Amino acid sequence: MQRRGFLHGAMAASAVSPYAQPGQDAATDGFRRAILQADPRLSKFNPLPRILCHDDFDDGISGWCELVSNHDGNLDTLRPVMKDLRPPQLSNCTFFDIGTHGSVDGAYALKLATRPRPFHTAVAIKRLTYAKPGLVQFEMYFTFKAEQVFDGSRGRRAFDGNLSPSELNFGDFTIGNDICEGENGARYHCTLRYQNTDAGGAPVQKWMYATSVETTTKMDRQGQGQSQDFHVRSPGDWKEIPGGHQPLCFNETATKINWHYFRWVFDTARRRNTELQVNELTLDLRDIPVPAYDHPYRALNHLLNFLIDVRTHAPVRNFFFVDSVVISVDW
Amino acid sequence: MIRRSFTAVIEKNATFTADFSTEPYEAGWASEARWFLRVIEIAGTLRVTPQISPDGLFWCAEGSPPLVITQPGVYSAPLRHFGQWLRLAGEVRGENASVKTMVYLALKE
Repeated sequence: MQRRGFLHGAMAASAVSPYAQPGQDAATDGFRRAILQADPRLSKFNPLPRILCHDDFDDGISGWCELVSNHDGNLDTLRPVMKDLRPPQLSNCTFFDIGTHGSVDGAYALKLATRPRPFHTAVAIKRLTYAKPGLVQFEMYFTFKAEQVFDGSRGRRAFDGNLSPSELNFGDFTIGNDICEGENGARYHCTLRYQNTDAGGAPVQKWMYATSVETTTKMDRQGQGQSQDFHVRSPGDWKEIPGGHQPLCFNETATKINWHYFRWVFDTARRRNTELQVNELTLDLRDIPVPAYDHPYRALNHLLNFLIDVRTHAPVRNFFFVDSVVISVDW
Repeated sequence: MIRRSFTAVIEKNATFTADFSTEPYEAGWASEARWFLRVIEIAGTLRVTPQISPDGLFWCAEGSPPLVITQPGVYSAPLRHFGQWLRLAGEVRGENASVKTMVYLALKE
């Protein structure tokens, strides 16, 4: 079945149809689609048959909390790379020049903000478990900014009236999961990153995937940690997703925000990513390798966590805004 | 509707040996806020002053009296009518002064 487009007709044929639910007849599917499309809050999404959550941040934080490394109650033992991942904020997207921008609809969005320190990362995590293996889809509208700076020396290019110097002060943002199949079952992260700039501030504007497992507290205690990028064993453990070059809409200043549609599907039955769509770009991810841990983890039965983070490469705060999130499954 | 509330951990066992400001935190949705400091260790004096901002960039004192802390313990300061952004400005005073603290911001609709 071909998916119906709603973003300027740009919704491409999907690698996996969200409407292909076994046992669901065409009339039921059509009725469901009509209801979704008549609901202004949901018609901008394409959820799989069962919606686990629809987080409109006008209603609160909806379970998106700060990530912290494992500990025994003594916060002095937190791993440095995961000690200070900052509490998420409910933001009405206010800027010094125009006041309140507002979110996609309503007033508030989820906001992540780094410290103004190179490679500092702000992370929000939502923690669920799963009832059955299968497709999981994460959709959101997002936008991203580097904080306005007033000292021209911190801009990485001159202002020419069009391109903002602050665009090159934005490092990267990452969307990922944390899946564990059960006692002694496989554990892995599907981790996708939009790398806006390289560490030197040159534009990259590509979607990447992680090629090594995230260092866990258990591994860190065995001396395997590093402090620049908590997602991977070494900071260079990323590869470009083929076809993943995509300049996004930064919109010329540090204070104009434009929202982007994001849809990511992964498959807990196959331990793989399935598909990524960001506005006009749809990437088939089924052959992208997903690194898994070679040792078991306990107490994580049917873990289904979602992570959103933003990482600055410069001594400038980076922000990531989300409004809203829909997580859906095919079970 | 139950009133919404949210607690942010602004600093986790952070040690300050010089003056500092906490990271900006947006609280425009909240009508009341309360700072909590759980001071774990202290040598010298810590003086913390709530600050507010319309844009998260430029700051002024909120107007509440500062908390002056010389002993470990839990300290608190309430705020109302604060606008949009909140942070704490901390002054660390004394010879070899140092303070290790948790900082919480409790917000309520």
